[in-house]
Amino acid sequence: MVGNNLATSVTQLPEEILSKVFAGITHTRTRNSLSLVCQSFYRLERKTRTSLTLRGNARDLYRIPTSFTHVTNLDVSLLSPWGHALFCSPITADSPLLAQRLRNAFPRVTSLTLYVRHPQTLQLLLFNHWPDLRQLRLVRWHQRPQGLQPGSDFAALFSRCRSLTSLDLSSFYHWPEDLPPVLSANTAATASLRRLNLLTTSFTEGFKSNQIESITSSCPNLEHFLVACNFDPRYIGFVGDETLFAIASNCPKLKLLHMADTSSFTNPRGDEEAGEDARLNRGTLEALFSGLPLLEELVLDVCKNVTESSVSLEMLSSKCPNLKVVKLGQFQGICLAIGSRLDGIALCHGLRSLSVNNCGDLDDMGLIEIGRGCSRLVKFEIQGCKLVTEKGLRTMACLLRRTLIDVKVASCVNLDAAATLRAFEPIQDRIERLHFDCVWKENDNFGHGFCNFDLNALDGLNGSELMDSFGRDECGEDTSNRKRQKCVYGSEADDSFLQSNGNSNGYYGNSWDKLQYLSLWIKVGDLLTQLPSAGLEDCPNLEEICIKVEGDCRGQPKPAVSEFGLSILACYPQLSKMQLDCGDTKGFVYTAPSGQMDLSLWERFFLNGIGSLSLNELHYWPPQDEDVNQRCLSLPAAGLLQECYTLRKLFIHGTTHEHFMNFFLKIPNLRDVQLREDYYPAPENDMSTEMRVGSCSRFEDALNRRQICD
Amino acid sequence: MGSTSILDALNVRVEGSGDKYLVFAHGFGTDQSAWQRVLPYFTRNYKVILYDLVCAGSVNPDYFDYRRYTALDAYVDDLLNILDSLHVTRCAYVGHSISAMIGMLASIRRPELFSKLILIGASPRFLNDGENYHGGFEQGEIEHVFSAMEANYEAWVNGFAPLAVGADVPAAVREFSRTLFNMRPDITLFVSRTVFNSDLRGILGLVKVPCCIMQTARDMSVPAAVATYMKEHLGGKSTIQWLDTEGHLPHLSAPSYLAHQLEIALSQ
Repeated sequence: MVGNNLATSVTQLPEEILSKVFAGITHTRTRNSLSLVCQSFYRLERKTRTSLTLRGNARDLYRIPTSFTHVTNLDVSLLSPWGHALFCSPITADSPLLAQRLRNAFPRVTSLTLYVRHPQTLQLLLFNHWPDLRQLRLVRWHQRPQGLQPGSDFAALFSRCRSLTSLDLSSFYHWPEDLPPVLSANTAATASLRRLNLLTTSFTEGFKSNQIESITSSCPNLEHFLVACNFDPRYIGFVGDETLFAIASNCPKLKLLHMADTSSFTNPRGDEEAGEDARLNRGTLEALFSGLPLLEELVLDVCKNVTESSVSLEMLSSKCPNLKVVKLGQFQGICLAIGSRLDGIALCHGLRSLSVNNCGDLDDMGLIEIGRGCSRLVKFEIQGCKLVTEKGLRTMACLLRRTLIDVKVASCVNLDAAATLRAFEPIQDRIERLHFDCVWKENDNFGHGFCNFDLNALDGLNGSELMDSFGRDECGEDTSNRKRQKCVYGSEADDSFLQSNGNSNGYYGNSWDKLQYLSLWIKVGDLLTQLPSAGLEDCPNLEEICIKVEGDCRGQPKPAVSEFGLSILACYPQLSKMQLDCGDTKGFVYTAPSGQMDLSLWERFFLNGIGSLSLNELHYWPPQDEDVNQRCLSLPAAGLLQECYTLRKLFIHGTTHEHFMNFFLKIPNLRDVQLREDYYPAPENDMSTEMRVGSCSRFEDALNRRQICD
Repeated sequence: MGSTSILDALNVRVEGSGDKYLVFAHGFGTDQSAWQRVLPYFTRNYKVILYDLVCAGSVNPDYFDYRRYTALDAYVDDLLNILDSLHVTRCAYVGHSISAMIGMLASIRRPELFSKLILIGASPRFLNDGENYHGGFEQGEIEHVFSAMEANYEAWVNGFAPLAVGADVPAAVREFSRTLFNMRPDITLFVSRTVFNSDLRGILGLVKVPCCIMQTARDMSVPAAVATYMKEHLGGKSTIQWLDTEGHLPHLSAPSYLAHQLEIALSQ
C-alpha cells in the first residue's frame, strides 16, 4: 500500500512474528494468495507450509515444485491418473531418478500418504528414504498384484525404516497373512511402532485370532490399534477370549483400541439381532479393561450378540478412568435402568462420545439413564435400537443440553425423520452435526413434543422423582394432576418456542442455528422434498450435506415424479459442499428387463435440480451395476452435473467416458476434477475402458488450459 | 489419425494364447468392455482381438473425421487396417449389431480373411420396406429417436444438460437406442443416421463366407423375420441360432450362455 512513510504496515513486522502468524493459517487458498504479495511473504509462506497434497499428473513428476521444502506432511496418493503406479508404469531407468527428485523436493517429510499399486513404488521411494519419516499411510483399492510374494508389500518398509511410529493400512487392500510375518521378523523396527491401523474396509475376512496375537506381540509399545477381524464363532480364527487376553497382555499401553467385525463394512446398517452370540464372556471383557488402564477410546463393533454386558461395562468405568470415546456394536444390556440406580455404561461419567449399535434391549429408560450418567456427552450415536422412542430421546437431549452437539440416529424403527427432529428440538439451537434417516411417515403429527421439564429444577431432582414423573407420561397427554412446567433453557428464554407450546399444532419457527453438517440416509425411490417440512426448515449455517441413497432399483417402479428433490436444498443459503452417495444403489446399466428403468434414468431422477444449488464442492458416487462391477456416470448425469455452474471441485467415485468428462469443461471456475474409484476392486485399466490414461491426461490438460479468474 | 497407429488409436488388444484368431467387435454406444465377461471363455483356445469403434467413448474424440465416417465403408477400412497391422491372415469374427454389418462388408472385400462370421443382433436394413420387408422400424419411430438426439445436441451446445436417453423414445426403438445415447452428443445423430439409412439387402448375396446368425428370443430391434431373410439371402452357407434369452445385448445380459453358444457355433 502506498502511504506516507510514517504509516506502518504488516510487512514491517519482524519476521519472527510474521512467521508465527503465517504458521497459524491453514486454508490453502489463503496461503496461496499470501505467497503472491511480495518476496518476503512468499519466503515466509513456504517456510511455514507444513502440509501439502499433490494433485498434478504423474507424467509431469519431473516438474515437481521445489519451493515447498518445509513440508512435513505430504500426500501423493491423489496424483492423476488416480491409482497410478507411481514410477512403475512403466518402470524405466529413470524411475529411481524420479523417486529421488520427489525426495529432494520435500526433504523434511515426516508423514507420507502414498498410493502403492505395486510394491516397487515403495521400494523405489524408500531406497534412499527420508531420515525423519515417522508416519506412513498406504492406499490401494486395486487388486493385489498377481503372483506377489506374501509380505512383499511391506518387506522393504520395515527393513529400511527403523523408526516408523505410525502405519495406516485402512485403505490398503492386502491379504491378512502378508503382515504378521514381516512384523515379527523386524522386532527392532516394530518396537517404535505406536499406531497401527488395520481397519481395512476392503477386507471381507479380516485378521484371524492368531494373526492378531502375533501382531500385538511384535509391537509391544502400541498406543493405537485398529483391526478388522471376525467375531463369529463359526469361523476359523474368530476373535474370542484368548485374543482379547493376548491384546491386553501384549500391549498394555493401548490408549485406543478399535476392533470391528468385517461384516460391519459390508452391511453397515445390519440386522438388529443376528441371533448368534459372540464368544466373549464377562470375565474376558473385565480382564481386557483391567489390562488397559490408559484406554481413552474403545470401539468393539461385534456383529454377534454380547449379552449381559452391564457388569463388564461397570468395570470399564472403574478400570479405565481416561475413557472418552466408546462405540459398542451389538452389546445387549448395556445399562439395565433398574429404578434410578446408575449402572453399566452410564457409570462412565467422563465419556465424551458414545455410539450404540444394535442394542436390542436399550429403551427409553436406558437412554435417560445414559443421559444422567454420561453427563458430559458431546457426541451420541444410536443405530438399530428398536425400543427407543421420541420421548426417551428427547428427555436425554434435555439432560445433555449443555454439552451435546453431535448426534446420529439411524435404523431405529420408532424414530422416523420427523420424530427424530422433534426429539432434538430442545437442543435445536446447539446441534452442529446431525444424522438421521429420511423415513417419512404418512400422517405426521407436527405437534410439539411431550415432557416439558424445568431443567433448572432437574439438578436438584433426585432419581426416583425423575423416573416417576417420566413414567406416568404415556402418549404425551398430560395427566391432569400434574402441573405442566415450562421449559426454561439457561438464561435465555426461548420465546417463540414457549409460544408454540400452547399451540396444539405447534410448528417450529426455530432455526437450527449452529447446524453445520447434515447427514441423511434415504431409501431408493423415496423423495427428499419433505425435508424442510419435517422440521428442518431453517438452517442458516448449514454448509455441508452428505446424502446416502441406498436400495435396489431392480424391481422398483418408476418414480411418479421426475425429481428426487435436490433442489429443495436451495433453502439452505450457506450450503456449499455436498456428498451424494448412490454407490449402494444397485441396478442395471444396460440390461434392465422391459418395464424396468436403466440406471441412466435413475441418475437423471437423482440429479435433476442439482444445478439450482450453489455448490462449491461435490463428491458423487454413481449407482452401480453389481453384475459387471460398473459404477459409471451416464449421459444425463454428466449433463446435469455440468449445470452446477459454481462448482470448483468435483470428484466422481466411479468411471465415465472421456466425452462426458468434457461436459465439465463448461463449468467456468472448475479447478479440480478427478475420477476416484476408491472401492474394492477398483477397475483395472484394461477392463474398464471408460477412462484410459490418455483420456485422463487429455481431459486434465483441457481443464488446466482454461483461464480462471481467481 | 496422423502419426498414431491404428492399433493405438482404436485401443486394439490381443488376449489369449490359442493358435487361431478370433475378433470381437462391439456395436454402437458401447466399447470393447462389453465383451469382458465373454472373453475369458476364449482366451485359452484363441488369440482374441478386441478393438473400439472410432465413435466409442474410449477413443480420442479427435479421431472421428466427419468427412470420412459417412458410411459403413470407413469402418470396414478400419477393421481391415487393424487385421493387416497385426498380420492376421485368417480369423473368425463375432460382430454385434452394426459390427455384424461391418463384418459382412469386410468379408465381401476380403473373403479369404474370414473363416466364419457370427452375427449377433444383425439386420441389413432397419426400416420397414412396404409389405415385403419387415425391418422392424417405421420412419416415424426413427424420427423420434433423431429428434431426441437433436434436442440433446442443442442442449449440450448451449450448456444445458442433454437429458434424453434411450428409454425416452417409443418402445419399438427403445431397446436398440438405449446404447446409442451413450455416444458423444455431437456425433450421436450423425452416426445414428448412418445406421438407420444403411440398406445392405442388395449385397447379402455377395457374402460367401459361412455365417451363423444369432437371434435372441425377443429383440425389439430385430424381428425374427429379418434373421430368416438374411439366412435366405446370404451367399454362403448360413445357419440361424435362436438364443433363449431376451434383449438386444446378450453379451451383457447373458454372457455365459452366449459364450457357450459361440463355442458351439465356432466349432461347426
